[in-house]
Amino acid sequence: MNINEETKNVIEKSISEVEEDTGKEMAPPVPNSIHRSSSRPQLDLTGAAIQGNFEERDPTILLPNQSDDISHLALDIGGSLIKLVYFSRHEDRLVNDKRKKSMKERFGVSNGNRRSFPILGGRLHFVKFETAKINECLEFIHSKQLHRGDNDNAVIKATGGGAYKFADLFKEKLGVSIEKEDEMDCLVAGANFLLKAIRHEAFTHKEGHKEFVQIDHNDLYPYLLVNIGSGVSMIKVDGDGKFQRVSGTNVGGGTYWGLGRLLTKCKSFDELLELSQRGDNSSVDMLVGDIYGGLDYSKIGLSASTIASSFGKAISENKEIEDYRPEDISLSLLRMISYNIGQISYLTALQLGIKRIFFGGFFIRGHAYTMDTISFAIQFWSKGGAQAMFLRHEGFLGALGAFMSYEKHGLDDLMVHQLVERFPMGAPYTGGKIHGPPLGDLNEKASICDSIPHLCICVAYEIISWMEKFVRKGTTKITAPVPMASPRTTGLGGFEAPSSKGDTLRSDESNLNVGVLHLVPSLEVFPLLADPKTYEPNTIDLAEPNELQYWFTVLSEHLPDLVDKAVASEGGTDDARRRGDAFARAFSAHLARLMEEPAAYGKLGLANLLELREECLREFNFFDAYSTIKQRENEASLAVLPDLLMELDSMSEETRLLTLIEGVLAANIFDWGSRACVDLYHKGTIIEIYRMSRKKMQRPWRVDNFDAFKERMGFGDHKPPRHKRALLFVDNAGADVVLGMLPLARELLRRGTEVVLVANSLPALNDVTAMELPEIVAEAAKHCDILRGAAEAGGLLMDAMISIADSPREKSSTTPLMVVENGCGSPCIDLRQVSSDLAALARDADLVILEGMGRSLHTNFNARFVCDSLKLAMVKNQRLAEKLIKGNIYDCVCRYEPAS
Amino acid sequence: MDGDRIEEATLANSPADEISHLALDIGGSLIKMVYFSTGREEEQQQQQPIGKTQKDGRLLNGRISFLKFETSKINECLDFISSKQLRCSRGVQHSGFPASDKNIIKATGGGAFKFADLFKEKLNINLDKVEEMSSLVSGANFLLKAVPSEAFTYVNGQRNYVQIDHNDLYPYLLVNIGSGVSMIKVDGDGKFERVSGTSVGGGTFWGLGKLLTKCKSFDDLLEMSHQGNNRVIDMLVGDIYGGVDYLKIGLSSTAIASSFGKAISENKELEEYKPEDVARSLLRMISNNIGQIAYLNALRFGLKRIFFGGFFIRGHAYTMDTISVAVDFWSKGEAKAMFLRHEGFLGALGAFMNYQLVKEFPNSNPLVSDLTDNGIIDCCVQVSS
Repeated sequence: MNINEETKNVIEKSISEVEEDTGKEMAPPVPNSIHRSSSRPQLDLTGAAIQGNFEERDPTILLPNQSDDISHLALDIGGSLIKLVYFSRHEDRLVNDKRKKSMKERFGVSNGNRRSFPILGGRLHFVKFETAKINECLEFIHSKQLHRGDNDNAVIKATGGGAYKFADLFKEKLGVSIEKEDEMDCLVAGANFLLKAIRHEAFTHKEGHKEFVQIDHNDLYPYLLVNIGSGVSMIKVDGDGKFQRVSGTNVGGGTYWGLGRLLTKCKSFDELLELSQRGDNSSVDMLVGDIYGGLDYSKIGLSASTIASSFGKAISENKEIEDYRPEDISLSLLRMISYNIGQISYLTALQLGIKRIFFGGFFIRGHAYTMDTISFAIQFWSKGGAQAMFLRHEGFLGALGAFMSYEKHGLDDLMVHQLVERFPMGAPYTGGKIHGPPLGDLNEKASICDSIPHLCICVAYEIISWMEKFVRKGTTKITAPVPMASPRTTGLGGFEAPSSKGDTLRSDESNLNVGVLHLVPSLEVFPLLADPKTYEPNTIDLAEPNELQYWFTVLSEHLPDLVDKAVASEGGTDDARRRGDAFARAFSAHLARLMEEPAAYGKLGLANLLELREECLREFNFFDAYSTIKQRENEASLAVLPDLLMELDSMSEETRLLTLIEGVLAANIFDWGSRACVDLYHKGTIIEIYRMSRKKMQRPWRVDNFDAFKERMGFGDHKPPRHKRALLFVDNAGADVVLGMLPLARELLRRGTEVVLVANSLPALNDVTAMELPEIVAEAAKHCDILRGAAEAGGLLMDAMISIADSPREKSSTTPLMVVENGCGSPCIDLRQVSSDLAALARDADLVILEGMGRSLHTNFNARFVCDSLKLAMVKNQRLAEKLIKGNIYDCVCRYEPAS
Repeated sequence: MDGDRIEEATLANSPADEISHLALDIGGSLIKMVYFSTGREEEQQQQQPIGKTQKDGRLLNGRISFLKFETSKINECLDFISSKQLRCSRGVQHSGFPASDKNIIKATGGGAFKFADLFKEKLNINLDKVEEMSSLVSGANFLLKAVPSEAFTYVNGQRNYVQIDHNDLYPYLLVNIGSGVSMIKVDGDGKFERVSGTSVGGGTFWGLGKLLTKCKSFDDLLEMSHQGNNRVIDMLVGDIYGGVDYLKIGLSSTAIASSFGKAISENKELEEYKPEDVARSLLRMISNNIGQIAYLNALRFGLKRIFFGGFFIRGHAYTMDTISVAVDFWSKGEAKAMFLRHEGFLGALGAFMNYQLVKEFPNSNPLVSDLTDNGIIDCCVQVSS
């Protein structure tokens, strides 16, 4: 993501509040903005995507983020629940940065054929309320001023029956008109959007196991959309806006809840679902075995545990309703209704010759048992020929669709790579409860915000209250799992209890836990990927439980050290300590939740896990936990750089190339993300460690394609043309970048290859950021003519800029060194979603160098590129070394692959 | 329309005739009994000439009677058989049935397995188990071919008897609604396949109904549903759309959007709902669902005729009406639900057919005729000797 003004403001603000500092040295806004090579204000706004998630994720924690400009709000007012989708974006800011503009012009970064983004970056939020408590919804809207979008428009798009019923209420209470959108239109538009725009949206669910399904956008239609709300609608979808309601049933979610409420006295739908988890339907249902004296009726393929008659046992015994366990009744009801829906859906799909059936609607709400039952019904009746698929945003189809119906939402041509789903921070605490904001607090907070024009203060205020909630609740509610006994009899047509996770299935709370969708229109697929369709960033598949366990343990163990660093980075104040504690709790809670349901927010890879940690830090206002360390190490490394460069310059070109690669690998030992290396730090100075490390670089390395690389660099029989432009994905600040990558960049520049240093948009561990790089380069350039000339040509040196601007052509012969942000705030990188600036610069590149574990091993180890690529890393984790390269800790990887 | 219902014989009014053959369908909730009894001696002699042409056995005039018991009160059934057994034995001597038949009763339904030991122990009777589906099918085939005015449609409270062309009977879908529901595609005598079913059937109606209304019997529950108003509990399209039809998808405001859907939004406890309304809502939910699934299956196999049988229906007007409406709705008027007068006794009749007493039915001149008010079928059977 792009660094954005908002983040910086907050950083400045929080710093000035805490330390009463002027903010200059931490975040000098003017010089550092140079690296952003965007010409459109939207780009800056979109940086919001990765910004700390202190905006509300959880309705109970009210965070009226006044800095947001709410564009749109849409509602789906159903018989039981109100689903609300709203979009927030950051307000336009004038970017009067002339230097930036001039740089763009000079380097053609904003090449003309890139489309201008039709939409602004921002976030889609998903909230729900009980229809019976519509006032909470009204209060929520009012408090966040959601109804006052652009240009005081007083119209809210809404769908669902309630859109008619409650229109007057909305007019009366909020003074807005409800514009009614057709329900089916909305469902379909919502589903089409989700299936096309979100990578991990559809999944199958069998025997407790969730598996994401890759949907081919070109082969999506026709499909059957089964929306299970109070009733059930079955819709054949043939394309955008092309659909027909072909069937339905009146036995739906309302039936489950209604009957369940009458039979069990449950107070809420969720409670009823929860009950079913502990139920045994064989006490209520008449099974085939009950009729046949325990025997299967094999002739027609019915096992003894097949339900012959739902609630059939309730007839033959002289038991009253009180004599049955509510748990059993709830399960029996759930199975009856789920199975029935599955059956009718399958028959309908069969009738229409449709292969894919997607189930959505609030009845499902991520409830494992419901999904299993429906899946089973489909599988049973189709004899395995068809399978049920579910949608993660199942409950929000209608609301999303209503949202899509705004004329200028611009989401139509949104692509998968432009959406980033973020972990909803409140999720582990709030679970699946339906709730609006605490009403008392609400007005109070709103009024405070209204009265204080300074937006950031308001944000800070909210963060505090949010954290207090965390600290207060943290100890009691962190772990969410609800232990349950696996149901003894679940037989429906031989359907046995979900086996894999039978014991850990719980009343799934994921319904509220859909992430906030961050719309980042500036994100693009990295254009040099050889096969973007099959590209999978994660090298390690966390679907394997052992692997997941291992990394969770690693992250957990690393946590105390990280908290120390984070607290220290903020001056070790009480406030920082408090936030540090809260962060640790929150992060642990997230880990626990993911451990329980790894696929909660889509497919989980190591990259996501590592990013979560960074997200979480930002959530608690630790914007750069390693800032002090990075600063110190940069300085120490820069101090020894001139000596190193002199040493290098004394070598022959051929020797120098090897030494440079050795240097990159050696310097990669400086990594605060690695526990092993953190221990090393306490034992020596940077240059000592660096030299020791380089000395140990005995070839052959564990993965060693150096000779091939050397040949390509012109030291073999052939003299291939030099590379035109190299993209260097850098890793850590300090020695890693200064003593490792910078000298390599210098060598390439010397050979006439343009160099683009690709760095993180936002801090992650001690990774160097694109914001910090120009300063480092400028410092290094003081002692090196090659770097100075290149940096000047690349527009990295402020002082030089003015003269260059006067005579742009003059220096064009000098090979430029550029810096670009990658669009990430994670130690890893998903090349499907990189900044548009990087994508633009990549189009002329013919060499990609990925350095460090996060970007070349954890992710992208197997990535193939259309140009030459070099992956350089020292493996600082024994398990990874064994798994990936069958080697040991501190082994090195030098993987060169020519263009494929 | 309850007057149209078959009044099953009860112990009190069961004919004092001699029983020669008896068959049972022991289901999860009810035991259905079919038995053949000879008429009085003089009637027999009057009608004797009809069957004189048969060469390999005697013809016997008599009647097939129908009786039911609750499965939970199986002892009543045993008592009944036990009391009739004596006469049966006498009848055997009278009619010259082979003595080996004496201790065998053809039986079907799950209970034929479950209660086999009980019959052996209490009555020294062996249950000769007849496969359930084939019983249903042969029972239905018998009725559709042999009994005029067996099948009828039910529209707007009117029974319209349907003349079935025997040459164009197959294939048809037989939906047997017992405790659960079986859907069977019938292609001919003994040619059939269970193609679908649902666990939401009569047992569900009764079971849920019992829990919700404290009703003591299935019949009471049905009776109550007649008085009820399901709009109190069901969420109608109009409830959601503020009384407006949702015309675009062809749903009228009175269509049920969600069965029992209103029970969620009001702070009413179970006790505050009238049992009649609950029963009505339940009945509509289940009937509608069965009608829908049946139609979808008929459509799938290209079957024009759907016959509904089984004890759930019991000639109950409202049930038949709901099923008819469901089939009509989902088929957009293309298909008609048809019902059988002897709906509850298909399995038992099929088991009875397994005695091979009744062999052929000349298409144009059914031997069996004169459906009596209590459902007894007068007929003439062939007794091989």
